[in-house]
Amino acid sequence: MIPAWHRCAFFALAIALIAVVLFPVYWMVVTSVLPSSTVLSRQPPLVPPIDAMSFAAYVEVFRRRPVLTWMLNSAMVVAGSTLVSLVIATLAGYSLSRFHTPAQRVAGATLLLSKMLPGSLIVIPFFVMFSTLHLIDSIAGLVIANVSVGVPFATWMMKGFFDTLPRELEQAAKIDGCNDLQALWYIVLPLARPGLAACGIYLAIVAWSEFVFARTLVTKPDNWLVTVGLQSFVGEYLVEWPALMAAGVVSLIPMFVLFVLLEPFLVSGMTSGAVKQ
Amino acid sequence: MKKRRSRLPPRERWLAYGLLAPAFGAVALLIAWPFWVIVQMSVRPSRSLELSTLLSQPLGLANFERVLGHPATWQAFAHSAVYTLGTLVPAFLIGLVAALLFHRAFPARRWLRSLLLMPWAVPGVIVSINFLWMFDASFGVVNSVLRRLGLLSTDLAWFVDADTAMFAVILPTVWKSFPFFAITMLAALQSIPLSLYEAARVDGATAWQQFVYVTWPGIRGPAMLAVLLNTLWTFREFDIIFASTGGGPAGATETLGILLYREAFSSFRFGTAAALGVLMITTAGLVVVAGFRWLREDTT
Repeated sequence: MIPAWHRCAFFALAIALIAVVLFPVYWMVVTSVLPSSTVLSRQPPLVPPIDAMSFAAYVEVFRRRPVLTWMLNSAMVVAGSTLVSLVIATLAGYSLSRFHTPAQRVAGATLLLSKMLPGSLIVIPFFVMFSTLHLIDSIAGLVIANVSVGVPFATWMMKGFFDTLPRELEQAAKIDGCNDLQALWYIVLPLARPGLAACGIYLAIVAWSEFVFARTLVTKPDNWLVTVGLQSFVGEYLVEWPALMAAGVVSLIPMFVLFVLLEPFLVSGMTSGAVKQ
Repeated sequence: MKKRRSRLPPRERWLAYGLLAPAFGAVALLIAWPFWVIVQMSVRPSRSLELSTLLSQPLGLANFERVLGHPATWQAFAHSAVYTLGTLVPAFLIGLVAALLFHRAFPARRWLRSLLLMPWAVPGVIVSINFLWMFDASFGVVNSVLRRLGLLSTDLAWFVDADTAMFAVILPTVWKSFPFFAITMLAALQSIPLSLYEAARVDGATAWQQFVYVTWPGIRGPAMLAVLLNTLWTFREFDIIFASTGGGPAGATETLGILLYREAFSSFRFGTAAALGVLMITTAGLVVVAGFRWLREDTT
């Protein structure tokens, strides 16, 4: 039995570690709810005075900047690239898990290569390709670019998940008269739902964070994604920190919700080895 | 054990390759083809973005000569090395400590663990913006606290001062990348059978001995793989540096990834940018080969 004081000590240590690690997020929220006059001080209060708190920066930033448009653009790119990558990766992952073909080695090598290709490099041929195909400044172009990042690791992640499902499932289904595709659709995929969800969330987080494609392949401010939009604040002569932090907090909320759902899958180790940053 | 078959029956082969076809198409079009274009750009002395014009140029190593003869390249190489190692070591140590702590039993562990690992899900650009603000010279919270503690008397501009800029970009990178180590090592820790610890305790092993003889051998493989993957990630990391210093001040944080991007999209020298990219991939490839050899020797 673990003594109670041990549990308390570990709890206290964990809280201390989290307090240090999450201070940047805390400070982001604090800055976003305080007026500029309080924030732009040489001795900013570490704990925000309750009576000075307001959500004015949130109202202001949404009114003065197209933050909502940027977030909608991001959401469209995320939805499109996640869906396309997930479909492609599920089929490929299933094949890699069930059939021994030379493709397994190729898939491993591709995953490794995709981890070695810098985003700031591969965006050059995309720029060339999309200029010819008139895909600059389009959501479709960004979806395609994100699929290039998503498919290799999502395939590997789905393969890892299918590996945990016994083959006897499909064999039983085939004895009952299903063909291969019916067995996949009616038997395997329903059981793979947790894996599909984890993989989809993973893809969504990576796509929402994406910056270099969005910055290079989109030129008009109305078509910017949220990462590019927020970065554009920094170059200004006078940065409106509370407004910028407010927009940052809003753009983080969906990521935090998704992450809380995804985290148990990551730590359970099912996907270790496929985890991509 | 799975039985290895060298040949599948024809019907299964159709299915196996049919399911792979979309992924194969995506990889061919979106990874292999771009890669080929990069190599072509690097060996053709042309600024043209028109592929047919580019391919009609003679082959030559002018781009590589230019890149290798330029001191900025070697400076960027050095910066990439410092940035990668400077991130890797602290991120690994914090990740290890966090994993060991969160492997213990205590109340609300599941929720606290999610909170701790959250930085992983924060986009690099937002991490950058956040640290830019915290480390602002006049109004930043860090300088304010340091001044209150009497550790700082000037308005140190962390991201603008050439002496501190590299440290300033490494810090947010550590913050974003330590959860990856923590996740990998937590997953590995959970696979160590508890009976090994019981046996060690029966034999009178101290906590340190338990770590050295039970815990570390159990997580070494995944931990080393995580080191390798994180090295690759940090080496090509772009967002955090670009969004905070843009490679400045005066090139003090200009890594290879930043240099090649500016070469391509500020100077419009795509040939030299591609040559830099080929050098970067070659370096990453050497790291992978060395890393895998080391992993194999380490685990056998």
